[in-house]
Amino acid sequence: MPVYVDISRCIGCRSCEVACKRVHGGKGHVNVHMAGDHASVPVFCHHCEEATCTMACFTGALYKDGERTAFDVEKCTGCGLCRLACPFGVVWSDKIAHKCDLCAGRETPTCILSCPANALSTDFELASRRARTRAAMAVAYGGRR
Amino acid sequence: MIKVDVNKCLGCFSCSNVCPSQNITRTETPEKRSVNWKKCKEECDLCVEFCPAKALTLVPYDEASPETTVTYDLVSCKICGERYATEPMLKRIESSLPANLQKDSTGLDWIWICPVCRRNIEAERATKQLVLGRSRKSP
Amino acid sequence: MPQVLVPTVCPYCGAGCQFFISVEKERATGIEYMPEHPASEGALCSKGNASLEVIYHQDRLRYPLKKTGDGWARISWDEAMDLIVRGLGGALKKFGPERVGFLSSSKCTNEENYLIEKMARCLGSKNIDNCARLCHAPSVVGLNRTLGAAGMTNPIPDLANSKCVFIIGSNLAENHAILSRWIHRAKDSGAVVIVADPRMTHTAWMADIFLQLKPGTDVALLDGLAHVIIKEGLIDRDYIAKWTRGYDELVEAVRDYSPEKVSEITGVPAEDIVRAARAYAISPASVILYSMGITQHSTGTDNVQAVANLALICGHLGKPGSGVMPLRGQNNVQGACDMGALAEFYPGYKKADDPGTAKFFSSGWNVSSLPVGRGLTATEMIDSAASGDIKAMYIVGEDPANSDPSSNHTRDALEKLDFLVVQDIFMTATVQLADVVLPAAVWAEKEGTYTSTERRVQWSQKAVSPPGEALSDLEIVCDVANHLGLDFDYPNAAAVLAEINRLVPQYGGITRPRLDGMGLIWPCPNEDHPGTPILHIGGFKLQDSRASIVPVQYRPAAEDASWDYPFVLTTGRVAVHHNAGSMTRRSPSLIERDPELFMEINTADAARLKIADGDEVLVTSPRGETSARARLTDKVKRGVVFMPFHFPGTNNLTSEVTDPEAKIPEFKVSACKISRRD
Repeated sequence: MPVYVDISRCIGCRSCEVACKRVHGGKGHVNVHMAGDHASVPVFCHHCEEATCTMACFTGALYKDGERTAFDVEKCTGCGLCRLACPFGVVWSDKIAHKCDLCAGRETPTCILSCPANALSTDFELASRRARTRAAMAVAYGGRR
Repeated sequence: MIKVDVNKCLGCFSCSNVCPSQNITRTETPEKRSVNWKKCKEECDLCVEFCPAKALTLVPYDEASPETTVTYDLVSCKICGERYATEPMLKRIESSLPANLQKDSTGLDWIWICPVCRRNIEAERATKQLVLGRSRKSP
Repeated sequence: MPQVLVPTVCPYCGAGCQFFISVEKERATGIEYMPEHPASEGALCSKGNASLEVIYHQDRLRYPLKKTGDGWARISWDEAMDLIVRGLGGALKKFGPERVGFLSSSKCTNEENYLIEKMARCLGSKNIDNCARLCHAPSVVGLNRTLGAAGMTNPIPDLANSKCVFIIGSNLAENHAILSRWIHRAKDSGAVVIVADPRMTHTAWMADIFLQLKPGTDVALLDGLAHVIIKEGLIDRDYIAKWTRGYDELVEAVRDYSPEKVSEITGVPAEDIVRAARAYAISPASVILYSMGITQHSTGTDNVQAVANLALICGHLGKPGSGVMPLRGQNNVQGACDMGALAEFYPGYKKADDPGTAKFFSSGWNVSSLPVGRGLTATEMIDSAASGDIKAMYIVGEDPANSDPSSNHTRDALEKLDFLVVQDIFMTATVQLADVVLPAAVWAEKEGTYTSTERRVQWSQKAVSPPGEALSDLEIVCDVANHLGLDFDYPNAAAVLAEINRLVPQYGGITRPRLDGMGLIWPCPNEDHPGTPILHIGGFKLQDSRASIVPVQYRPAAEDASWDYPFVLTTGRVAVHHNAGSMTRRSPSLIERDPELFMEINTADAARLKIADGDEVLVTSPRGETSARARLTDKVKRGVVFMPFHFPGTNNLTSEVTDPEAKIPEFKVSACKISRRD
């Protein structure tokens, strides 16, 4: 279960970027992109079912661990093939690779805790549920705008 | 001593990273990458084991052999022109992945696009619906 | 070595988030979130996440310094005190306390602010102020007059109960980020969000109705909204009759502000004005959030009063989900004002020109007399330094050389002083101009209380020791005060808080033992009182418990586009930086995300001037010039440009015209011209 974004909530504050970088020794895995004039969205590792980064990795450092695409740093040789094999550009490699590990070892990914707008979650349905609730409330208020 | 099959080498720097004795050096500029293998007399075979293309073998030391250097021009991203990878590495990705995963939902050959553009495209795709919807809403 | 988690209050904005600093072997090594916090629920913006990068920065001031011919010489604390006695003490003796100025810090604790204003006044000077003068002075004046209290009327989590959130002149998505989660919860329950800003910001992304008004036309817009509400009978008659005075004068005053006329002045379509007015008035609970876009104008006090008027005629005060919410910028600007580090107020907002106030504090402080009368404000102190009326200044944790408008004038003024002593953590532009420099501690290196924008007073604990010979501001101020002949005997911050409990009624029950945890919201008059999250529930602390509706007329901003200066410059903030940038520009995680001064210019305007995205441009105003990197965008309308003030240079351009009552400079409207720097 990767981290999903409720795009209607993202405020472009980049707290997720700074928090991820802070807890991973200076190497973060999130990039917030500005779309149009005032929308924004962080691009996260999708933890793909058919993870192309694991297919390119010849040492087995990148592998699927249930839903998570995991990384074993001990096996990495820094070849950089994983960086080129990610269709979303969210694997980095510079002498050693690094990517989102869903903050293994912590109860909740740090970005989710840190997001001021509460826009991040591992619950895929959350954003659509919120949108549906908003629409229902608008009808309930009889378009009183 | 290391023997390099230059037709197989990808230019990935893996061997240089794992060599414990700094016998494999590399340089990288915005346009090119080069790897240089010194004539080492070591007994280890880490570089052979950790070359993804199996391009390296160990042969007995030969005074007469020249040192090998290989240089690659970095390939330009098809969208922004930024140079980001060697061609053999990209071809290797093509051969590692099933054909159906090599194009994205719009038919784009993403392997030949740099990671920065890939992130931008993903961000655009994710926000497109919402941004368009909002701008249509305003009078 | 065990890891200790020390709870601290974030040193950046006024939202008042708390987080734990993990300390190992006496070093701050990391941050842990605090999910129990009522306002933040553990979240932190990018600045909070990067806050540790300030603590061990190599630029930290470690030793007292004195200015020499071509640089600085390290001196001992004793020598620094001698120089201060001669310079500051000398000026007090030779010229009198009227000619000495004190600037306190809205980043320091309540205890420290209290001591600095006490010191100034015990030394006979009325000239004590803090940087609230540059941000919410109009709120202090305007809200005290209309509502009887100056502070957010409802707490932050209460935003989720609102059915209409009206945000005007605030980019809270970037500057008070955690408020976003509560506003989104309100939206999920059907709330309408209205945003009024000349610029399409990340906050505008949340809006259902976006009113893109011309800079400086807020009174016209607010009076226009009031006009629609009154005309369509959407006022709360019972509330007006019971709790307000002055309604009839307002009706008269807004008679001519029809949507069409207001649309001409502001550039906002008339139908949007009507929609927004109806949404605000009809909803059962509406809240107005505002910040610098309302206050930093030559009509700032009028703007604030117009905001309060809207809330009063619709009855949106004193109940959940409603309110008037000035969003205070600094972590303790609310506290600095509460503690009376202001030219016109003593602690607890007792008026400085009331002889009764001086009597109360002379007895409370055990001194024979105290000055009566309003002193010079921060902006007036700079002008007086320029004219030679102010001879010496003691500045704590403030950077007027970067924060005040018209930087060239400010720097010249400070250079003219006979003696300047500055207490800070980094060598800022203001510190550069000092004669004596005192190195101070950051938030993590001292303890004390901070009051957030929702009036929540929280205790922040000391996590690590200051570097070199730096001391907490409390210790330094006591040392200076005692060397200047006063008797400040305070072993620690808790001792100062105990005195505050005695003399500041709103803080009466906010005692040290009650402050472990999430703090208390003032007014809290005694130790059994639970605090007051929502203000004005049973009326207002004014005559007859009635609020005052103060009608205001639209006056244009002091400067407008002209032939020579064809663009209107408005200023503001971005998410990863904070105010003058002395802390955030030194934090690697933050500066790499927004590395330089930029200017947002409308795409069509840029095309006409042949400016491409990324070009360096020269921006000039009647006060000075600066370079900036052009960013082409349609976030601003034609004729308007935007620059953040986190980088030196923006304030070279801004206007020094001030609001006549609150004395706040008009940062938000300046005229300028732009050319490509080739």
